[in-house]
Amino acid sequence: MEELLEILENLKPGVDFPAQTDLIEDHILDSMSVVMLVGELNDAFDIEITPVDVIPENFKTVDAIYAMIQRLSDD
Amino acid sequence: MAYSSIVYLLPFLGAVVLLYNGMPKKYRWWVLLLASYIFYWLNSPTTLIFLLLSTAAVYLAGIFLNKIQDGFDLSKKALDKEGKKQLRKIVGWQKKAICACALLFIFGLLAFLKYYPFVSENINQFLKLLHLESTLPSLKLLLPLGISYYTLQAAGYIIDVYRGKYRADTHLGKVALFLSFFPQIVEGPIARFDQTADQLMEGNRSTYQNLTWGIQLILWGLFKKMVIADRANPFVAEVFKNYAEQSGVALLVGGVLFTVQIYMEFSGCMDIVIGSAQLFGINLPKNFARPFFATSVNDFWRRWHITLGAWLRDYVFYSVSLSKGFAKLSKKAKEKLTPFLGALIPSAAALFCVWICNGIWHGAGWKYLAYGMYYYGIMLLGMLLEPLFAQCGAKLKLNREGRAFRIVRILRTCILVVGGMTLFRAETVGAFGEIVYRIFTNFAPQHFYDGTLLHLCIDGWDFIAIAAGCAIVLLVSILQEKGYSLREQIAGQNIIIRWSVYLALILAIIIFGAYGSGYDQVAFIYGQF
Repeated sequence: MEELLEILENLKPGVDFPAQTDLIEDHILDSMSVVMLVGELNDAFDIEITPVDVIPENFKTVDAIYAMIQRLSDD
Repeated sequence: MAYSSIVYLLPFLGAVVLLYNGMPKKYRWWVLLLASYIFYWLNSPTTLIFLLLSTAAVYLAGIFLNKIQDGFDLSKKALDKEGKKQLRKIVGWQKKAICACALLFIFGLLAFLKYYPFVSENINQFLKLLHLESTLPSLKLLLPLGISYYTLQAAGYIIDVYRGKYRADTHLGKVALFLSFFPQIVEGPIARFDQTADQLMEGNRSTYQNLTWGIQLILWGLFKKMVIADRANPFVAEVFKNYAEQSGVALLVGGVLFTVQIYMEFSGCMDIVIGSAQLFGINLPKNFARPFFATSVNDFWRRWHITLGAWLRDYVFYSVSLSKGFAKLSKKAKEKLTPFLGALIPSAAALFCVWICNGIWHGAGWKYLAYGMYYYGIMLLGMLLEPLFAQCGAKLKLNREGRAFRIVRILRTCILVVGGMTLFRAETVGAFGEIVYRIFTNFAPQHFYDGTLLHLCIDGWDFIAIAAGCAIVLLVSILQEKGYSLREQIAGQNIIIRWSVYLALILAIIIFGAYGSGYDQVAFIYGQF
């Protein structure tokens, strides 16, 4: 989780990510930043996030992103 | 049979609602499918075959994808890890080949019917330059009604099945109805299979609320189309046709009025479309979210033609930017350049594909390509200059989240959008260049008040009707932007207030609508794509 938070804070400095309830609806993560984030997550956690995984539910909160990482790591 | 025509609204839609509700629940989808094909045949009888071919192609491809997946699920149980890996690779290729064949077929039809005349003309001109005699034959092709919309729906369906988002549906009628549903076939919204297909098949009876809300929305759409868009049309048509004779002021007003016209017309059409579907209890995805409150061009495209933007994002932008090739490019860019440029270059390249597609989707012509590149250029510039803007803002101690700054950003976005719409409406890229040139070199500000503008096919009363209509739409939009649900508010009032609102809307359309002698029924602009 700490590594994920570090990546998110590097991507969007100054955002209190754990406190956010909807990163997509609140336009904190747009399609550009999602692509950048996916690249970082793929490298950092050795996973492959495909376009099917790129849905709002998986990027809504830090917990949702973390759950997706866990799921893809187990696959 | 335009959606704003009496023939569509009363005999056609009325008869379908009556028949739909008169049928037993399990046969209601048949009414919708039959009505959809009749609607299509009445509008474009010779091109119905292309809709049927696209339907058959994605239906069959979906069934094959199901079979391959089922075969894999069955075989993998008996295999070890390495065996599964090998089989997954083979199955992956098989699925990719089937998906690619289906996409090639449906996009091939679209490309040939929509773009062949443009491509052949340009190739012939190029060959002429090289003094080569061989030329491609010029064919007069009929563009099938709604092909740009149903092709994207069909492609979205088959890509989703390929990606494993859901299984292909084995019910041919369901796939056929999803692709042909008559309210959305001409101008969208571009729906996804999991958004509308089940609703279309449910066959729920039209409730009182569905009927009243549907009629409300249809009336609101007619108001926007007939009172504002169609009334502005003669001015816009005149100014853009004879642009070389117009002053800068007339051209500028023409650009602004065309922006108003296209918004009122397209969003009005979407209101009629979504309202029509609501009569059957079917909720279509929304296509507009008050785009002129956008604070940036990116934000504008999140609010304007939402379903096209979402389609391009999900099937072009993510497909390209998350591909393995792009992952490598991104890695190399990060290693060799600054982290900012490393992150920017792959996104910029993927965005280029999106805007090329957006441009050519709108039409076969250089100006549409230029239209896509216009927005791409603005977005790219915005991305490149963002760090600089942030630095300047910090140095000047600007409150970038404040209300004043927000208003400035909204105005800036509106100006950029009017520029884009002017390019979109100009006959050619060259004509757009001349329009811009005349705005800056032959502005003639006195034309604002000396009555010149009142002699360009519409008079002062038309301008007053357009301005009053826009003021009403603006007021409603402000309330919606603040979170008020006007429809619920109206529905909650007593019968006198409720019906006063409805009657006022009907009277406004009858009294101020542009129709009858002196007005030709104006075809929906987005219906021609």
